[in-house]
Amino acid sequence: MKKKLIATIVVAIFAVALAGSAMAEEINAYMGLSPENNATVVKFIKDKTGITVNQNFQSFGEIQAKVKAEAPNFNADIIVGCGSPLAFMAKKNGWAVPYVSISWKGAAEVFVDPQGYWYNFSNFSFVLVGNKDRLAKAGYSMPKSWKDLLDPKWKGEIVMPSPLSSGTANQMRFTFLALYGDDAGWKFLADLDKNIHHYTRSGNAPTDLVGRGEFMLGLTSDENVKKRLDDGYPLIWTVPQEGTGYDGTFAVILNGTKKLDTAKKIIDILGTPEFSALMAQIGYVTPRPAPNKLYGKTLPKYIKIDLGKAAEDSPKNNDIWKQKFRTEFK
Amino acid sequence: MATAELSVKLQASSGSKVKDFLNANMVNILAALLFLLLAFFLLYPIVAVLIKSLRGPSGFTLQYYQNFFSKNYYYQSLINTLLLGAINTVVCLVIGFCLAYMTTRGPWILRKPLKIISLVPLIAPPYLFALSLIILFGRNGLVTRALDLHWELYGFGGVVISQTLAFIPLAYMMIESTLMSLNPNLEESAYDLGATEATILRTITIPLLAPGLLKAALLIFVMTIAEFGNAAILGGRTPFLAPDTYTMITGESDFYMGSVLSVILIAPCILIFFIHNYLLEGKKFTTIGGKPVASEPRKITPLIKVPFVIITTVAAGAILICFAVVFAASFYKILGVTHNFVLSNYLDFTSNRAIYNSIRVSFVAAVIGAIIGVLLAYVIVRGQFFGRTFIEMISLSGFALPGTVLGIGYLLAFSAPPLKLTGGIMILALNCVFRFLAVGVEAGISKLHQIHIEIEEASADLGASFLTTFYKIVLPIMFPAFIAGFIYTFMTAIVSLSAVVFLVSPGFDLAAVIIFDKAVYGEIGIASATTMKLVLIVMICMLILNFISNKTKLGSSMKKSAAV
Repeated sequence: MKKKLIATIVVAIFAVALAGSAMAEEINAYMGLSPENNATVVKFIKDKTGITVNQNFQSFGEIQAKVKAEAPNFNADIIVGCGSPLAFMAKKNGWAVPYVSISWKGAAEVFVDPQGYWYNFSNFSFVLVGNKDRLAKAGYSMPKSWKDLLDPKWKGEIVMPSPLSSGTANQMRFTFLALYGDDAGWKFLADLDKNIHHYTRSGNAPTDLVGRGEFMLGLTSDENVKKRLDDGYPLIWTVPQEGTGYDGTFAVILNGTKKLDTAKKIIDILGTPEFSALMAQIGYVTPRPAPNKLYGKTLPKYIKIDLGKAAEDSPKNNDIWKQKFRTEFK
Repeated sequence: MATAELSVKLQASSGSKVKDFLNANMVNILAALLFLLLAFFLLYPIVAVLIKSLRGPSGFTLQYYQNFFSKNYYYQSLINTLLLGAINTVVCLVIGFCLAYMTTRGPWILRKPLKIISLVPLIAPPYLFALSLIILFGRNGLVTRALDLHWELYGFGGVVISQTLAFIPLAYMMIESTLMSLNPNLEESAYDLGATEATILRTITIPLLAPGLLKAALLIFVMTIAEFGNAAILGGRTPFLAPDTYTMITGESDFYMGSVLSVILIAPCILIFFIHNYLLEGKKFTTIGGKPVASEPRKITPLIKVPFVIITTVAAGAILICFAVVFAASFYKILGVTHNFVLSNYLDFTSNRAIYNSIRVSFVAAVIGAIIGVLLAYVIVRGQFFGRTFIEMISLSGFALPGTVLGIGYLLAFSAPPLKLTGGIMILALNCVFRFLAVGVEAGISKLHQIHIEIEEASADLGASFLTTFYKIVLPIMFPAFIAGFIYTFMTAIVSLSAVVFLVSPGFDLAAVIIFDKAVYGEIGIASATTMKLVLIVMICMLILNFISNKTKLGSSMKKSAAV
């Protein structure tokens, strides 16, 4: 009898475990913001619409890799936060479902695709961060120009993300190429490479590594800097005199979704002034102007870039990158 | 199969004949079904990886292999990986042996605490050691700052240290279980006859342990080179095959080069698997099989005692400190930067769903895995069909398959219709089932060897059908093997990262993957707290399991087969 009882219990648990929990309105999303910013956005959507967004953290590059690999059978219904290369690619390859949202009316053209294939719900940039304590101990001051990073005294003390896996680093690369031109740009990256300790997988990772004092300087995404400062990390940040680049965080409804209505509701909520205010509080530059927590009233100087061209050149530049920096083991 | 169906049709007129036929051929039918499962879920994904590595966008090509062997960056990763595997295996074996020797032969007072210290990290993800090492010995680590040291943790050395610490528990567990089942009478007689401790070790203990040591070595080597967490966190610019494969697949979507790296990673594993099988031919010692007996502590000569005590203390101390650091980190906002005590890491519930998923996946995998394991063991031992040894080899090959390769294989094989399994819970569970099948199969085989087929024949002669015999006689005997397979699959599935990291999707995230992401990302507090929650839940699960098996009076036999 006992054995039968146990067997029944095991079978019952097995069935429950396999079936999982069917709940209220749910949607599966690829989200490429930092984990805590993903969580903030998920909570906002839940509070405003009641929709539960299931997501797991991936960097822009990883989402791009995943969507490319899965096409045309996606395992998610929507992307909430990917870089321009993927958003443009999705429109071009028919991976995106067009939807013209009324709630986005009036937003500037950098934020909305006229045909509604993609929506850019905030821009982010990259900045230079330093560890106050380590810099003070070494007697160094924060570099004023990007060129200052080439000084041999920084050898092994700089970290930056890898453009092969991080959208932020892709942005850094096309920004430097736009700033210096192709030839001088690649020479700058090659010289910088001599001082880089290693390339991280995610665009935010240098903020933490520098914050904990493992390295003195980091080229990093600006999206977490404010949060890390508030957390108490001894960080100092700056935008060097030449300026910085920018890229959007895009939302795209993926073709084949069975939850189109839910996805549309999410697109709508992303266009509201309340959502812009939330993102600006984190430190993003938003479609609806709102006071920015990181930059304050004056936005940093931007280097002029063509996002479309940057997206198109990205695969070619990845090949050049591998040729240059992934042949020799140093 | 086809002939089976045909014969069934022909004899459909007579119900009893069908029954006879089924009774006579059930083993073969079962074997065919199991073989199909193995072929589909174990062989096919690996073949898919191999094909991907050889087929570029325009047909068959060796270009990617040429790339690998002509570029220093790539082939250096192979050299690094093999070197890491070799160093790790040797060091882990030595330390594992010393620990196991002390807990089975050493003074009573040390046995329990040492055992607990050596086993606890098993239920934590292996890359936690990388985290502790950064907090303590990183460039701005607590110890580094306190002593004003200048060393470089990031690189080959750091990876070796963290990886060794991570795999000591596994080495210990495997060696301890063989030491336990080794009848101490031989050693004691030698001692009574005046042999020194060193002589006993050299001429009795180690030779008798050889098969167990060899198997531990194989398993540690394979797991070390496939586990990429520590190398990804501490490697810096030093390339290793497993983390590079991971970056190439998930980060860069370069499936061709990723597959090449996988094939190259799998080659040494398969080679070692065959060497291991060859060396073990006819080397089964009969001392195994006796009831585990605790050995009385003997007087150990200082010549042996001193190095053993030093190694054990250092190893146990290092494990304890690393674990303590993770535990402490879970209560600080940022350990090593700001020192204020918080509980917010535990109150962060974003990871709860992932923990829940992990338990679901591990449970489903453990049930399916244990059932398939027992059935496989049965057909391997009792079946008399062509290809029996082949099936045995495939089902035991899980030991030698690096997780990354099977993860990528599943991604390649099951991501497009009509075989689309990705994006759900089932692909995660199935992956764990077939990766960890070997333990259940092996436990089942050794159980079945203990009973003679006569009992089953007697049952059949008395008129019982195949199913009745199986249910009434075979199953009760195999139950401990079932439990062993269940526990092993459950425990390893819940902390394993290397394969499932390729297969998680939104809504089906797993705790091990979340912890890794948080750790890489720098959220050490939350990563530590999530680990602690996971450890606690796994412990509760084990206690419940232990309780159930004790209730069904299977406690002692379960422990024995869990040690197989």
